[in-house]
Amino acid sequence: MNDSIEQPGAPGAPVLSVRRLKIGRAGLGGAGAIVSANEFDLAAGESIGIVGESGSGKSMTAKALTGLLPPGVVANGVAEYGGRNLLGFSEREWRSIRGSEICTVMQDPFTMLNPVMRCGHILQESMAPGRRLSRAERRAESVRRLAEVGITDESVVDRYPFQLSGGMRQRVAIAAALARDPKVLIADEPSTALDVVTQREVLALIKRIQQARGMSLILITHDLRVAFATCDRIHVLYAGALVEAAGAGAMQSEPLHPYTQGLLLSEPPADRRVRELVAIPGSVPSAGEVQDRCPFATRCQWVAEVCRDGVPELQAVADGHESRCVRLPEIRTEMAEIRARAVEPAPALPDGRTGAALVEVEHIEKVFNSGSRTVRAVDDASLVVRDGESVGIVGESGSGKTTLARMLVGLETPTAGDIRIDGISVRDWRALGDQDRRKLRKTVQMVFQDPYSSLNPMRSIGWTLKEAITTHQSGPADIAGRVSDLLESVGLHREYAQRRPSALSGGERQRIAIARALAAGPRLLICDEPVSALDMSVQAQILNLLEHLRTERGISYLFITHDLSIVRQASDFLYVMNGGRVVESGPTEAVLDHPQHAYTGELLRSVPRSDGNWLGASA
Amino acid sequence: MSLKATLLFIVRRLAAMAVLMVVLSFAVFSLVYLAPGDAVDALLGGKSSTPELVASLKEEYHLNEPFFTQYWIWARDALHFDFGASTQTTLPVTDEIGARFGSSVFLGVYAYVLTLLFGVVPGVIAALRRRRAVDRGLVAGAVVTLSTPPFVLGILLLYLFAVVVPVFPAAGKGEGFLDQLWHLTLPAVALALTISAFLLRHTRASMIGVLDQDYVAFARARGLASRRIMLRYLLRNALIPVVTVSGVLLTYFVTGAVLVESTFSLGGLGELLVQSAESGDLPMIQGLTLIIAVIIISANLLADLAYMAIDPRIRFERRS
Amino acid sequence: MVEGVVSLTKTFEARAKSPAKRRRLMPVSIALCFFFLAIMVLMVLFGPLLAPHDPQAQNALAGSAGPSAEHWLGTDMLGRDVFSRLVSGARSAISGPLVIAIGALVCGNILGLLSGYRGGILDFVIMRWVDLMVAMPSLLVIIVAAGALGGGYWMAVALLGVLSVPFDTRVIRAATLEQMPRPYVEAAKALGVPNRRIMFLHIWPNIAATAFANTFLVFAGSLIALSGLSFLGMGAEPGTPDWGQMLAENQSLLFANPVASIAPGVAIILAATATNLIGDWTFEKISSRGATR
Repeated sequence: MNDSIEQPGAPGAPVLSVRRLKIGRAGLGGAGAIVSANEFDLAAGESIGIVGESGSGKSMTAKALTGLLPPGVVANGVAEYGGRNLLGFSEREWRSIRGSEICTVMQDPFTMLNPVMRCGHILQESMAPGRRLSRAERRAESVRRLAEVGITDESVVDRYPFQLSGGMRQRVAIAAALARDPKVLIADEPSTALDVVTQREVLALIKRIQQARGMSLILITHDLRVAFATCDRIHVLYAGALVEAAGAGAMQSEPLHPYTQGLLLSEPPADRRVRELVAIPGSVPSAGEVQDRCPFATRCQWVAEVCRDGVPELQAVADGHESRCVRLPEIRTEMAEIRARAVEPAPALPDGRTGAALVEVEHIEKVFNSGSRTVRAVDDASLVVRDGESVGIVGESGSGKTTLARMLVGLETPTAGDIRIDGISVRDWRALGDQDRRKLRKTVQMVFQDPYSSLNPMRSIGWTLKEAITTHQSGPADIAGRVSDLLESVGLHREYAQRRPSALSGGERQRIAIARALAAGPRLLICDEPVSALDMSVQAQILNLLEHLRTERGISYLFITHDLSIVRQASDFLYVMNGGRVVESGPTEAVLDHPQHAYTGELLRSVPRSDGNWLGASA
Repeated sequence: MSLKATLLFIVRRLAAMAVLMVVLSFAVFSLVYLAPGDAVDALLGGKSSTPELVASLKEEYHLNEPFFTQYWIWARDALHFDFGASTQTTLPVTDEIGARFGSSVFLGVYAYVLTLLFGVVPGVIAALRRRRAVDRGLVAGAVVTLSTPPFVLGILLLYLFAVVVPVFPAAGKGEGFLDQLWHLTLPAVALALTISAFLLRHTRASMIGVLDQDYVAFARARGLASRRIMLRYLLRNALIPVVTVSGVLLTYFVTGAVLVESTFSLGGLGELLVQSAESGDLPMIQGLTLIIAVIIISANLLADLAYMAIDPRIRFERRS
Repeated sequence: MVEGVVSLTKTFEARAKSPAKRRRLMPVSIALCFFFLAIMVLMVLFGPLLAPHDPQAQNALAGSAGPSAEHWLGTDMLGRDVFSRLVSGARSAISGPLVIAIGALVCGNILGLLSGYRGGILDFVIMRWVDLMVAMPSLLVIIVAAGALGGGYWMAVALLGVLSVPFDTRVIRAATLEQMPRPYVEAAKALGVPNRRIMFLHIWPNIAATAFANTFLVFAGSLIALSGLSFLGMGAEPGTPDWGQMLAENQSLLFANPVASIAPGVAIILAATATNLIGDWTFEKISSRGATR
């Protein structure tokens, strides 16, 4: 069956060549578009990155290249592999390609492996059929395959996927994907669902194997820096259209499309604190909405009539560098100026902590019991938040940072230790008097991670804000006026009060959630991963808004995140948590520039950096 | 894991089962006292009362003893399958039950096989052809079937296949295997269809859930043969929830059997229960209730064990 | 008041504009189901006016006759008009299940919300009780109870109601537990909103559709169960027009006037299918709308 495929791989010639790729929902015309214009070449042994935010069509592109589009979604165009167009393949023809020629690794290691099969079995069934091997030989082969992905523990062969950690599962999945030695590996956000440290290990593994095998790699990611570090060439997708393509180095030093530049700048730099992040206004449109113009026109600061007149052509702007911006020649210098300004460091913060202690957490512990298992989520952690200060807590999932925050607002009760907020001891919220509780609610408020479910879907924005106001304030007052004020303070028009959450974008919802927390007039705002569920281009807006509110209202922040770049931007004082303990603390700049604890150093090394050394550094 | 953990689980479940049976038997025993009138009236079952008869009943049922002693004696006898004599036929309850047990079990097994056939197969087909005409047709058919109680279906079947086209007998349970099969086909279909509609919906939902899983897409991406994906990925995972409902299904079977046996006059346990309820035959009701309860509880235990056997996640999480 | 109306029309316009909501309000089949239920309600309210004959009037001479212009569905063994009995039978077919469904809706929602929201020992106790009740075959329990305690329609209704509450409780508890970890609930707690307000004004509106969908399913289930009991002679009082009872009484007429026993069967199927379809449709509406992400 494989004979029908010419063996590709003549030097220099592309293995896979994609042209005029369009993907859309069948029967909806332009409105159903998911990808409107994508193209790229993939040479043997080359790695390319396809970068885009949610809705850019990057995942659908990956699915189209393995014939795994969901029912009702169709792909048009040309994807030439071994002299044949993959997009016209029947299911039978696909089977001769999948696994042996092109294979995919998906995002979530927790759902990618059959839960009722042992890992060894998963590997064995993935290997090329036809070879008759004895049981012992098959097992030996599985062990060898696991060793290639860095698993030396032989017992993994006999374990079920749910008995492994996320990183281990992703390694097993990669081994399974490589079992038939494909020539092209498509990795669709292979590290996004993993913790930062594991994320770097998995990416390094993929890159190492790709180079060792001389395999071609397509990395699908939302993170430009990850792509820069892993890939030779980068293709940026926006709302279904390819907007820029260039070598990783060239794009990094000079992005030549306003969107690429915006995306690069909205990500806080890892190594310095800047004055203000350069945010892209608005939110990502769907491909169907921008069929007849430059897809970025609605959010671009340089937009002109010509941008709305039609879809610009992809033009070569430098050697091996293509961009879809028609106004590029006019704005190129201005873009460079903005880039230069964006990286100017912010003035250094004054040393030392001033202000009275607002929150004091002393030797706090939280133990969860589930069945016969006990989990020590927070283990003897102490911290202080002072008036007017922004304190960061950084750690991976399972470090106890969220549990700590939840204890501060009474969503969990500590097992041991003490919490004092504004002088009131709040170990157990249920034991507090009404007056104390009311005072505390006015002191501490919280913004949650997931803006999509932090607003009651059945209630209008106005209802939600009104409740937040009246819960803390009795007596007649101009409530409608206060709702409008709150909306304006988070940069939204007062008409938003009429809307339901489902009509809002993620960024808008997070603004409402902030407004709701502000309704109580708190002195401390706890932000639990407030931007991690948002698109990269929207994250900067919210971070800027939070910074703006802080200077305007003089409130304190407790900023909880896994992202060291964000914490550098958003906090003055930093606590690093690992395994429920505070392992290091100090002024943010000092901790991040001169980490004392080994774990902090490990975290710092894991932050995606654009240079190639990031993945090469000691694993 | 292991055998030890599994055994421990079984022992725990058996202990819980025993406690449940004690509570239930106590409730069943109390029926004699809850019935209108006093215990003697209840046990007379409508026969005219003479002082001798009352005396002999009191003697036989130890009615002069304290309540708990009575229960103890009754429960001890029940453990030896001695539930006393029917007030209607004066035959031992155990004999009456034994005489009817066979045909009810035959009906149950027959209907169970049909249920699997009519439930799982179309359920899988509907899921694979999701949103197409076949799926819509099957789902619509399932709703109508689900809304058709077994006795209504029984009468429709009787009319169609015993009156209009008389290919099946209208009543009776037959002798010998083939004759029984012939006699019990209509009742078994009547009993099975409603339940298989439930099973169809369950299978379809479960299958659709599995079809959407990443691990199926990943299996396809690795180029595995479609037969392998069907058996090892789709069916293997989709049938786990189906096994877990089999305990609930049995409850439906018992309930449905009562109605179907009455519709087709099969003279099985269900019909016996209805008759004894109508005549207030308490010893018979007690005996039947306990036997049915044991069947249902054991079936649930078996379903749980099967669930453990096919889902490693359950097996291993019990240990930790 | 006027303000309320204005804002209502506004939201209505806003909804009409959004393309996703421009679809039909409900499919034709669901409209038919509601139409059929409306007819049944009419039969309950105006049964005597709609029935061409007195459902109880016997006429031994005209017994077991097939359909005719006089008797649309023929007569039963005692010469009673089958069509009139079918119309009058809607009363016992609807009233019991309605009481059960509403009772289970109220009790099940309160217990389910409390159990899910409060958790702890209360939840444990309620759930053990639910587990026990759900494992019981309700029809058999009622038959046994009827045998020991004497039966009757409302006795069956009461028992079936008690046995249906656990089903609702379980569904509502599961739905509550699904809402509990959502940040909007946690945000309300962190805001200091009182618990009762969170339960009834925040969580309940989000699970109300589930509750109502489930109520339709309970209604259909109890309609089937009650007709089964009547079929066995343990539901409606002997002699009253009732679909299950007609089915049993007229089974022997399958040769002489098959319509007499098939018609009430079809009535049961239609009524149960209509309510089941409405319940399923409501559930589907929820799951498609639930995709807020």
